[in-house]
Amino acid sequence: MKNHPMLKYLKAEGPMGPRLPTILCPGCGGGQVLNYTLHAVDRLISKDNIRKEDFLFISGIGCSSRITSHYLNFDSAWTIHGRALAVATGALLANPAFRVIVFTGDGDLAAIGGNHFIHACRRNINVTILCMNNGLYGMTGGQLAPTTEKGVVTTTTPYGNPEESFDLCKLAETAGAPYVARWTTAHPRQVVRSVMKGVRKRGTAFIEVLSQCPVHKKMSPVAMLKMFKDNTILIGKERESKEGKIPIGEFLDIDRPEWNDSYQKIVSQAREGDYRTHE
Amino acid sequence: MKKEKGAKGMNKVSRDSCLLKPGRHYLQGNEAIIEGALVAGCRVYAGYPITPATEAMEAASRRFPEVGGRFIQMEDEIGSACVLIGASWGGVKALTVTSSPGFSLMQEAISIAIISETPMVIIDIQRPGPGQGYITASQEDVMQARWGHHGQGPIIALAPSSVQEMFEVTIEAFNLSERWRTPVLVMAEETVAHMRESVVIPPLEEIEIINRKKPQELGIPPDNYLPWGHDIVAPMANWGEGYNVNFVGLVHLEDGNVTRYSPQMNYHCVERLHKKIEIDANSISCLDTKFLEDCNHLMICYGVVSRTAMEAVAEAHEERGLKIGYIRLRRLWPFPEEQLRNIVCEVDTIFVPEMNLGMMKHPITEALRDRCKKIVSIPSIGILHSPDYILSKVYEELR
Repeated sequence: MKNHPMLKYLKAEGPMGPRLPTILCPGCGGGQVLNYTLHAVDRLISKDNIRKEDFLFISGIGCSSRITSHYLNFDSAWTIHGRALAVATGALLANPAFRVIVFTGDGDLAAIGGNHFIHACRRNINVTILCMNNGLYGMTGGQLAPTTEKGVVTTTTPYGNPEESFDLCKLAETAGAPYVARWTTAHPRQVVRSVMKGVRKRGTAFIEVLSQCPVHKKMSPVAMLKMFKDNTILIGKERESKEGKIPIGEFLDIDRPEWNDSYQKIVSQAREGDYRTHE
Repeated sequence: MKKEKGAKGMNKVSRDSCLLKPGRHYLQGNEAIIEGALVAGCRVYAGYPITPATEAMEAASRRFPEVGGRFIQMEDEIGSACVLIGASWGGVKALTVTSSPGFSLMQEAISIAIISETPMVIIDIQRPGPGQGYITASQEDVMQARWGHHGQGPIIALAPSSVQEMFEVTIEAFNLSERWRTPVLVMAEETVAHMRESVVIPPLEEIEIINRKKPQELGIPPDNYLPWGHDIVAPMANWGEGYNVNFVGLVHLEDGNVTRYSPQMNYHCVERLHKKIEIDANSISCLDTKFLEDCNHLMICYGVVSRTAMEAVAEAHEERGLKIGYIRLRRLWPFPEEQLRNIVCEVDTIFVPEMNLGMMKHPITEALRDRCKKIVSIPSIGILHSPDYILSKVYEELR
């Protein structure tokens, strides 16, 4: 731990005492996603000369949001359940230079925050969304999430889940995000590359990372990572599930005008006195 | 569609400053809010349409891009309030204007803005409730302003009574939010929001603008910076300035550390916020008074009701020689209990006309129950009390 290359980006110690270790359970995928993300950020700082101060990490509530909380040696915000993207929108309105990375979970993003999710994608605000999908609510003890598969028993579906689950990548794509990818915690290099692409993308990049919750799934972390490798299939943009496996890969990578870029034109227009009334 | 009348004033915009020129303008209350916000230095507006606050949002959509600001129509009021948090920490003053049901949706964000000590301004153009209620005038959210958000979070809430004050109080709200690093509410009514009146805009150099204290100016380096410490009002580093601020909504130590939770730490965190607003910020001026000398009775009012109440008090003096003193609460929260007790010695009856069934009557009673014989509520909902209506209730009581 002492010599971990990413430690320079963490606050092991604050002015008023230690902040590490994180509260994450042993074997949780959250730490892996944080590690991959920081590797991507590290490369972006050295390769693209992006200022460290321009990175801004925003999260909502839940295990995945907790990984930003107060461990990062960056500007960060650990905000309200489901509202990370709304806070990120505000930050980007104030300062379009921010490189915003939102850490979120399937419950935070797709249930309570679903409305902000689709509208952030539609507006194409300049944010990279990293959604750790573990298929349940971890922080509160393993309840049903919108991503829980049909039939699965959770603490709030003791007889099995009667509902269909969300495909978050399809949702992001339909809502207008120009970059959409899905990986798992068993795909470190791919996640690092996707995060770099996401941050470079002018607009909303949505990266779903299937992440293990060994505690509530009652499985060993190693078995879950192996399952991620066995049960996924790398496919391209056609994205049809084959042999019942979960498709992973980059599903979309296009360009679309980003919100602030579009709004800057409104500013020029307004300054020239063009009100565009409905006359 | 023709450009609405309110846009007329907009044509007077000076292209140099993009702010309204000093002098007399004819504005709607909702529009005056936006002009005040721009003068205060606000450059981000987020909102969601709701009657009777929509004209403010429409004015913002025209005016914010003109000054190089940002305007966004969010997907709901929850999002709007959250945009203010992000924008404020991004270093820009931010505003939303809503009405009662939208104000309900903002409560969670207000709570986290209080604990994170985020300067921002929310204006509630109150309409009647509960439920969708109606779209006329009301003062039914004055208690929600103080107690609507979860947890014991103190708040500053102001109550304007004219279009001129919609302009001035909006600036004051921004100044207080920056001075005390806290969300500030302006509790207006549909009456003033839709009213059109003359507004006199003074020369800009005569308007005081307060900006947040910065650690850079105080010589505090990032390594020693405590985002919630140093002083009762902590200096605020914006995101992007290299101070590595970790914004937290949990109870925290002064550096934002949440790992060392204890009931004592929890108490200290909440008490600090309480002291900042309820004790220190309580020093800000808050009362308008008239006819207090030798008065036998008192009229205590706030918001737009204070205008007709003033008329009623003046008429009671003229018509019947009734000695009714007049006190207007310019600030609702923190409640000016001490200030009231300092000026009210002994009276017979205190009248409290409100556009609800008697809400601020309760803290008034708490403050002055030993200084009077009786406290009488004069309620009205959906319409502003006329002076005659208030007078009739006063005469009925004093018959």
